[in-house]
Amino acid sequence: ICSSGKKMGVSPKIAPSMLSSDFANLAAEAKRMIDLGANWLHMDIMDGHFVPNLTIGAPVIESLRKHTNAYLDCHLMVTNPMDYVEQMGKAGASGFTFHVEVAKENWQELVSKIKSAGMIPAVALKPGTPVEEIFPLVEGKPPVEMVLVMTVEPGFGGQKFMPNMMDKVRALRHKYPTLDIQVDGGLGPSTIDAAAAAGANCIVAGSSVFGAPEPGEVISLLRASVEKAQPTS
Amino acid sequence: MSSLAASLCCPSTQVNGFGLRPQRSLLYQPNSFSFSRRRSHGIVKASARVDKFSKSDIIVSPSILSANFAKLGEQVKAVELAGCDWIHVDVMDGRFVPNITIGPLVVDALRPVTDLPLDVHLMIVEPDQRVPDFIKAGADIVSVHCEQSSTIHLHRTVNQIKSLGAKAGVVLNPGTPLSAIEYVLDGEFFCPNTALASVRDDSIVLTRVYHLFLGSVVDLVLIMSVNPGFGGQSFIESQVKKISDLRRMCVEKGVNPWIEVDGGVTPKNAYKESRPARSQKLWLCNVKQQAQKTLLILGKAKKSQKTITQMLMLLPYAIKSIRIKLNSFKVAHLYSSVQ
Repeated sequence: ICSSGKKMGVSPKIAPSMLSSDFANLAAEAKRMIDLGANWLHMDIMDGHFVPNLTIGAPVIESLRKHTNAYLDCHLMVTNPMDYVEQMGKAGASGFTFHVEVAKENWQELVSKIKSAGMIPAVALKPGTPVEEIFPLVEGKPPVEMVLVMTVEPGFGGQKFMPNMMDKVRALRHKYPTLDIQVDGGLGPSTIDAAAAAGANCIVAGSSVFGAPEPGEVISLLRASVEKAQPTS
Repeated sequence: MSSLAASLCCPSTQVNGFGLRPQRSLLYQPNSFSFSRRRSHGIVKASARVDKFSKSDIIVSPSILSANFAKLGEQVKAVELAGCDWIHVDVMDGRFVPNITIGPLVVDALRPVTDLPLDVHLMIVEPDQRVPDFIKAGADIVSVHCEQSSTIHLHRTVNQIKSLGAKAGVVLNPGTPLSAIEYVLDGEFFCPNTALASVRDDSIVLTRVYHLFLGSVVDLVLIMSVNPGFGGQSFIESQVKKISDLRRMCVEKGVNPWIEVDGGVTPKNAYKESRPARSQKLWLCNVKQQAQKTLLILGKAKKSQKTITQMLMLLPYAIKSIRIKLNSFKVAHLYSSVQ
C-alpha cells in the first residue's frame, strides 16, 4: 500500500498482449497499438510444454522487428529458456522474460547471457510460486531489471484476474521501490486499480484492449490508474 | 432364401464383431430392412477443400515458414493469387525441433483469409495434445511425425485426426526408413457411404454400395528432404530414392495417399520428386449407377472365398441396408463360412 508516501521512481508502461491481436496482420496491429499510446508490445512465447499451449517463436519476432521500432517485451513460457537467448537476441527482442520455475539452478548464467545478447533480463513467476524465490534474482549480479507477477495461470488469454497475487506485488514494491513490476493476466478497467495500488507499473492487457470498442481509451485508462497510484519522479 | 434374408437383415446382429449373424432358423421376409449402423473404423469426414484435388495432380504448397510473419494475411493472399494450391504450415515447438514457430492461433488467424487447404505439419512432441486445437482452428490436413520422440501412438493419433474431420498425414525425417510407416500405409476396408438393399422374390438385391474400397489409414505421406527445424536448407539427394520406394510400396499395398516432399525444393530439383506415379486402381466398388456393378463385388470376390466373406462382413458396417444379388448356391456356401 502506497500510503507511506514513498516516491516511486518508476513510470507506467502499458504493454498490450499481441496474443490477442490479429495474427494475419501483425505489423498493422503493432502500429495500431503504438499509435494508440502503448509503450511496449508484449509477446507471449509458449512451447506447448511449460504451458499447455503453443504460440509463436523467434521467427515471428524477427518478422515483426522489421516493421516496428517498438519495445518487444518477450515473455518466454518455455522449459529451456537458455536455448532461446541467442535466437531471440538476433531476432530483435528488446526484453527477455524467463520463468524462475525453470531457472532455479542457472539463473545467473541466464541473466548474464541475456544481457550480453543485448536484451533486458526479466523474471516471471507463476501464481503458485512464492515471491521470496525472486528476491535473489533482483539482488543478483547482474540483476533482473523487471519482475513479472502472473495474475493468472499462464497459457491462455481471457482468464480471470487473481486478486491475491497483489500480495506478491506489494511485497516486491515495498522491498524494491525502483523495480519495474509487471502484471499479466486478466488486467483491464475493472482490475487495474487493485494492481496499480499494490505497486505494479508495467501492465500487460490482451483481451481488455483488443476486445474493446476503443482500445486507445483502455490504454489511457490503464496509464492513468498507474500514474495516480504511483506518482513518477 | 428367406432365412438368408433374415440373417442378413436382422438388426443389431453381431458376428465375429461384424454386424452380421446368420440365423437360418429365423423366418422373416421383409421387403426392405436395415442394419444397425455399426461405426466402421476409418470413416472419414472428408475435408472438402482437399478433395477438390486429384491424387495425380501436382500440388504446390508454399510454406509460411518463409513468409513475413508480420504480414501473414497479405502473404498468403499473394501466393494464392500467384496460383499455389495449398498452404503449408510448419508448426514447431522448440522441443522436437530446435525452433518455435507458430501455434493454433496463427492457423485460426489464417483460416478466414484463404479458402486454400491448410496443410499443417506438426513438428512437436505429443502432437495428440494439440491436434484438436489445430483442427478447431481450421486445419484441413494435419501431419504428425512417425518418430517415437514425437508421436508415441502413431496409429491412434492418425485416427484421432481423421475422427475430427481432417485428413491425416504422416511425416518421415531424412534418417527414418519407410518401414516405420508400413502399418499406417496398409489398406483397411472403409465403407463410408450407405447402401440400399431389398428382398425381391427370393433373392436379396444389392443396388447401391458407395465406395467400398481399400484405402490407406493415412491420407498423406510427407517425406522431409531436409532435417526439420529451419527454412532455407539444401535438399538431401538421398530422399529421392525414398520417394520412389514409397511410391512402389503404395502400389504394392494398393493404396494411394498424397505423397508430399518438404525441404529445399526448388524449380531446379522439383522434377525429381514429381515424376507422375502410375496410379494404382483402387479396388473400388461404386455400384450406385449400374446394377451390374453389384456383380462387380462378387466378380472380384470370386477370386477367393475369404474375400467374399470379408466383403460381405464389411458391407453391414456403415450401411443402412443392402441388397445383394446372389445365386442360392453362392449364398449358402458363403453363409457356411461366415458362420
